[in-house]
Order: sequence, then C-alpha cells, then structure tokens
Amino acid sequence: MMSAVAFFKQPLVVALALIAALLLLGETLSPGFASGQQILRLLIVAALLGIVAAGQNLVILGGREGIDLSVGGVVSLSAIIAGNLMDGSNAGIPVAILGCIAAGAFFGLANGLGVTLLRIPPLVMTLGMLGVLQGLLVVIRQGIPSGKAAPGLSEFVTQPVLFGLPGIIWLWIAIGLFMAFLLKRTVFGQRIYAIGSNEHSAFMAGVPVGVIRVSLFVLSGVFAAIAGICLLGYSGSSFANVGEQYMLPSIIAVVFGGTPLAGGKGGYTGTMAGAVLLVILQSILTTVNIDESGRQMVFGATLLVLMLFYGRGKALRT
Amino acid sequence: MSKLKLSGVAKSYGATVALSRGDLELEAGEVHVLIGSNGSGKSTLCKIVAGSVKPDSGEVLLDGNPVTVTGPQAAKALGIGIFYQELSLAGHRTVEENICLPDLPMRGPFIDRKALSQRAARYIALFDGVTGQGFSADATVDSLRADQRQLVEIMKALATEAPILIFDEPTSALDRSQVERFFEILRRLKENGRAMVFISHRMDEIFAIGDRVTVIRDGATVGTSRISEAKPAEVIHLMVGEQEDLVERQAPASAAQPSAGDAALTGKHLTGPGFADVSFQVAKGEILGFGGLHGQGQSAVLRAIFGASTVDSGEVLLGGERFTPKNPRQAITHGIAYVSGDRGRDGIIQGRPILENLTPVHFLRERLFLARPSALRAKAQPAMGSLRTKFGGFALPIGSLSGGNQQKVVIARWLIDRPDVLLLDDPTKGIDLSAKADLFSLIRELAAQGLGIVLYSSEDAELLVNADRILVFNGGRITRELTGTDRTRYNLYEAAYEAAA
Repeated sequence: MMSAVAFFKQPLVVALALIAALLLLGETLSPGFASGQQILRLLIVAALLGIVAAGQNLVILGGREGIDLSVGGVVSLSAIIAGNLMDGSNAGIPVAILGCIAAGAFFGLANGLGVTLLRIPPLVMTLGMLGVLQGLLVVIRQGIPSGKAAPGLSEFVTQPVLFGLPGIIWLWIAIGLFMAFLLKRTVFGQRIYAIGSNEHSAFMAGVPVGVIRVSLFVLSGVFAAIAGICLLGYSGSSFANVGEQYMLPSIIAVVFGGTPLAGGKGGYTGTMAGAVLLVILQSILTTVNIDESGRQMVFGATLLVLMLFYGRGKALRT
Repeated sequence: MSKLKLSGVAKSYGATVALSRGDLELEAGEVHVLIGSNGSGKSTLCKIVAGSVKPDSGEVLLDGNPVTVTGPQAAKALGIGIFYQELSLAGHRTVEENICLPDLPMRGPFIDRKALSQRAARYIALFDGVTGQGFSADATVDSLRADQRQLVEIMKALATEAPILIFDEPTSALDRSQVERFFEILRRLKENGRAMVFISHRMDEIFAIGDRVTVIRDGATVGTSRISEAKPAEVIHLMVGEQEDLVERQAPASAAQPSAGDAALTGKHLTGPGFADVSFQVAKGEILGFGGLHGQGQSAVLRAIFGASTVDSGEVLLGGERFTPKNPRQAITHGIAYVSGDRGRDGIIQGRPILENLTPVHFLRERLFLARPSALRAKAQPAMGSLRTKFGGFALPIGSLSGGNQQKVVIARWLIDRPDVLLLDDPTKGIDLSAKADLFSLIRELAAQGLGIVLYSSEDAELLVNADRILVFNGGRITRELTGTDRTRYNLYEAAYEAAA
C-alpha cells in the first residue's frame, strides 16, 4: 500500500496535478483557454512534442549520459523531405513516409555508432550531428521554401477521424501503447533498463550492450522523423528550422515524466503527461504575450528547477 | 573509563531496522573486533561513530562525555578516523594525495606539496615491500590493483593519526603478507594507546589481532568477550544463532576422487594479461579449486575464459570442442556461467527489481523476444529456492536485499537454464556465513548433476573444504597441484609462498 505522501510524490501524479492547475490558470487569464476545442488543439501540439520525446526517452533510459540533441534537426529535415516527396499530392505520402523514416534511422544510426564504437559522449556526438543537419538543411533549401503537405496528411493531423479525435492523437496513443509494451513486456525493453542501470553487469550477464544502445539512437531518429512528417501536416509547408523548438522541450518532458537524466528507470507514460504539461505552459506564456525568447528562458529555467527536484543524488547523511 | 562507549544506539531506514540496540565499549590500547553476518548492523554502527549516519536514539560517550557526532568533519575533530568498506578514494589523484586528503598540509591558500609528499611517504614506508608492482607515491589510484587501493585506504585512515580508528573490513582484498604487515602496524598502535575497532569476516584474522570481540546479530549487540577466552566455534554460534552446522566441515575426502569422466573444460597453455602458460582440466562433476595468494592470475584466467578479457595464446576446449572466447555473450550461449565476487560492478543491476536481475541470462539462452513476468517468475522461483534466498517479492528492488541475498540473486540467474561450466571468481567475498553455507551446498549439488566447476576463493578454508583438487597460482602461473590428502592448509600456504617474489 502506498501512503498518500508517496502517491503525491510520484512524477506522473505531480504532472497530472500540474496540468489541471495550469488549465485552470489559463482559463482565469483568458476565458475559453480550457474549452474543448482549445484543449484538442493543445493535444495535437503535445502529440508532436510527445512523439519526439518518445525517442528522447529511450535514449535517456539507456544511460551512460544518453541524450539526443539532434532530434530538432531530424524533425526539420524530415519535414522538408516529406514536403518535397509528396509536394501536395496524396499519392506521394507512402514514399514520403518511407523516405523520412529512412533518413531518421540513418542519422540515428550515425549517432549510435559514434557513441558506441567511437565512444564519443552522446552530448557531443548528437550536438555535432545537429550542426551537420543544420548545415545540410541550408544546402538543401538554399533559403527557398519548398514542398507542400498533401491534403490527406493535413487532414490526418488536424481533422477528426474517429470519435472526434484527429489521427495524430490516435497515432500518439498507439505510440504510447507501443512504448509501454516495448519497455515492460519485451526482452529489448528490459535490456534497456539493464544497460541504463549498470552497463557492466548487463554486459557480464550477456546483454548486447552496443546493439541495444545503437538501436535506441536509431529509434530516436525514427520518432523524430515521424514527428517531422506530422509537423508538416500541421503547418502545411516546411520552413527553416521548424524542428529546432523541440530539442529542449523533448528533454524536459522526459525528466518531468520521471525518467532521470541518469537513465535506468522511468517510462513513457509520465513523458506523455510531461509533453501535455509543457504545451499548456507554452500556450499560457503565449496568451500572456511572452515571446519566443521569453518562452525559451522559462523552459530552460523549468529544466533547472526539475533537476533540483528529481536530479539530485541522495543526501549523504540520512 | 572507556575511550568510546555506545549504548542503545538505534537506526532505521523507513521500515527497515538497521540497528535496534547497538552497544559497544572501546578501551584505549585495544583492538576491538566487531563481528556479525552481513546486514546485522555492524557497518551502520561504524557509520554512526564516524558521523556519516545520524542515530535515531541512543547515546555516544567519548571519554565519558556525551557527544553528538554531527558529521565526518565533527568526527575528525573528535579524533575518530575511519577506514570505509566501500573505498572512498579519488581515482584520478595520486596515492600521496589520497593519503593526505582528509587533512591537506597548506601553505597559505596553496597545498604544500613538499610537506604532503613527506607526510605520505611516512605511511607508504609502513608497507614497504608488500605493496606490489606498480605502487608508488605518484601513481594514480585508478591505475592500482584492488589490494593496492585497499592499502591506500588503510594509509589514509592511519594518516589521520586519530586516537580512535575504525577499520570496516580493511583486509578483504589483501594478500597474506599485506595482512601480516597491517597487523604488525596495528599492534604497534595498540602499544601507543590507540583504540581500534576492527571488522572482518575472517575468523583467523579476528583471532590473530583482536583483544576483545563484540558480536552483533540482527541489529543488536548479543555479547562481548575476551578473545583469549573465546573459541571460534562459540563466536560463530553467537553470530549465526540458529544455524550451528556452519562450523568447518571436514574435507569430503571420499567424494574427492575426480572421476576420470569427460572433461567439461580444458585450458591449454593459456597466456594473457596477468597469467601465463596456464593448463588445467575440469571433469564433469568436479570442483576444481584455484588457490594461492590474492591476485596471482586466478581471476584473470576465469575472466578470460568467460570472454570478459583477452587470451593472447593457448586454447580453450569446452566438452572437447575448441572454443575461442570473444565476449561474455558468446561464452554464455556456449554454456559457461561466471559469478564474480564484485557484485556491485559485475553482478547486480542496481535500482532494478529482483526479477530483472534474474532474467538476462535466461533471455539470451532461450533467445526470447517477449518478457512475460508471470512466466519468468515461475522460472526464477526454483532457482531462488535452491539457494534458500530470502526475499519479499520479485518486484522489490535488488537494493532492498542484504549483500548475501543479492549475491544469491546473481547466482540464481545462472541456474534458470543449466550451464555446463560454472566459473566462480571469489563468489563469497563480503557475504555472510549462512549465505556462504547455502552457496556451497548448492555448488556441491550442481557438481553432482555433472557441471564442471572452477572455484577461486580468497579464503583458503573455503577451497580446502569445497574443492576436489586445488591448483595453486603464483605469479600468474600454476605452481602446484594438490589432490587427495595433500589438500592441507600447510601445503597450500607453502605453495602459495614459496616462489612469491
């Protein structure tokens, strides 16, 4: 039996309580903020962030300072590839999806190999990869916006398809179920926790540490690519660095959801709540006319405050 | 009047009572042995004295005056120095820097390097001749072997020059010559009136160095007696309470004759880092012991066969088939199991549930894709039962168990799918006597089922009692084979010492 105090200390419970509080605050600041339509819009934005955060979550769970700073670059690249491959036509959607996922997997693989084979710290490896991607985006686009979302894709992301919910919400729910299954009910999932908790013990017990870690980065690239496609559907066309805004929030969502940056414990359900929370926070900041730079500051501060609560080691004296 | 007196000291962590009634009286000029199985509360008692743990209740008297040790700094100011069981060294710093770390000599705002070197040299000199290769004042601690690091930790404790010194298992990694030197130092300190608490699992050491012994069981002090009036059997009896059959068994000489049966594992002229030209054969059903002083290549050979380190030349045969170990994964799929004594580094997956600590080997051997907890629990239950593991449930974190039970979990992970060869690399290091007894009765049973078992133990008694045949290692080579009635402590010591450089 869990005590009431322990119950309210669970990250997921904290996140849900904060979501309710923020919705209330938003409604007070601007009546209509918490209306059904508005909440649905917030959920769509949260789904975009949540899909990116799924990959981020996996990489962080795997430990050894796992983090993927290149997700924003992959999101941008994927949106551009998707836009150009479909170019406004529904017929191009399958090719676009395949192309984007392949690109995401490729950059994830490069990250993973750099981290495992060359033993480059993930922070450095993925930051470097972000630089490569940003450069690549400039080369591809040469400053000219190109590519358009297919109408089918836009509909999937923004229009209700089932029970009044847009396709992207269903996609997000499916990813949530997939992640829960992966982490709790598969050998792969258990091995992620094992390498995140004690890599050497895991190695000595026959866990293929390198293969798992590379897979995590590949999955992170793929999730970012999927988010990129959806983002294109949401905004209609791709513009410069659309994905950049996802790097920091994807990490905050994971930490908010109860996965420590050290890895080895936590899960995706909390991350989903974290993503919703961040999007509501962002929306409130917009409502009270705080611009992008101000929002970034708030996000950065949020991460630092979270570290204060969850990130600290146990005190020496008990 | 006692130098230090603890009465009725208690400490709980949540619902877990680490210490319910800790009493200890320490006189000046004595070595006071504190003994008790793992999880009995002796480390907690030490930490309370050292100020790193705050007691919930009870009284600490220093020279008759009640004191509150508010932290490690306060302990230092009160004249209490401690050697920690978990090494507390700064790995990237040098030996001399670590020795002086608790009290750095300063000149103004800067460290006085010269004074530091001189001070450290005094303590290093105490162990002159037994520190082994690669040990020097300016070597970084990371570059040292485990026994050498433990020596640095001892020097660090000695360098505090505190009137009260506490040694929490200071000899676990040391070889015999190092232990003897350490004891000489302790005897000198005793003559100078220092008061020392000494914790060890080794009965011979306790009787060699102790003046009085206090036994702790289940978080409470159960008795104190003079060593000169105590017998090992009595101490063990006090310590383990209900289980009396733990007194050393006689060597099972009858069962000792290795059958000329099939070889389970053969090593031919194996050479690698830390060992050279090692040849041996383990038959199915045999327990082969690797003996000798600590760090003579026994662990290195076992780790190499398991694929955790490299073999430069020579060959390994598994049941007659040539086998080239590349990594632990491959060794596991070929039916090799390896249990390390360093469970923190090689064994447990810290922070995860007991079940997740049991399953990784099973996943690999069965090439599973899905992890169904109910099915896995059913597989793990018998393995845990065969070791008489005490645990509250598979979902509890591994850290909730005592050291001995953690090690049982690590061993149980190899029993879900039966291996052909079991490599035991000092598997009982730092675990309590009752867990040791459970472990060895299981090992004997596994041998009877036809496993080939190689046992390296840093405790000679364990080898003599449990191994059918003992190969004595010295300087990375096998120098003697002890079979049948030759397996005596005398022969083992003689072989271990004779060529030691």
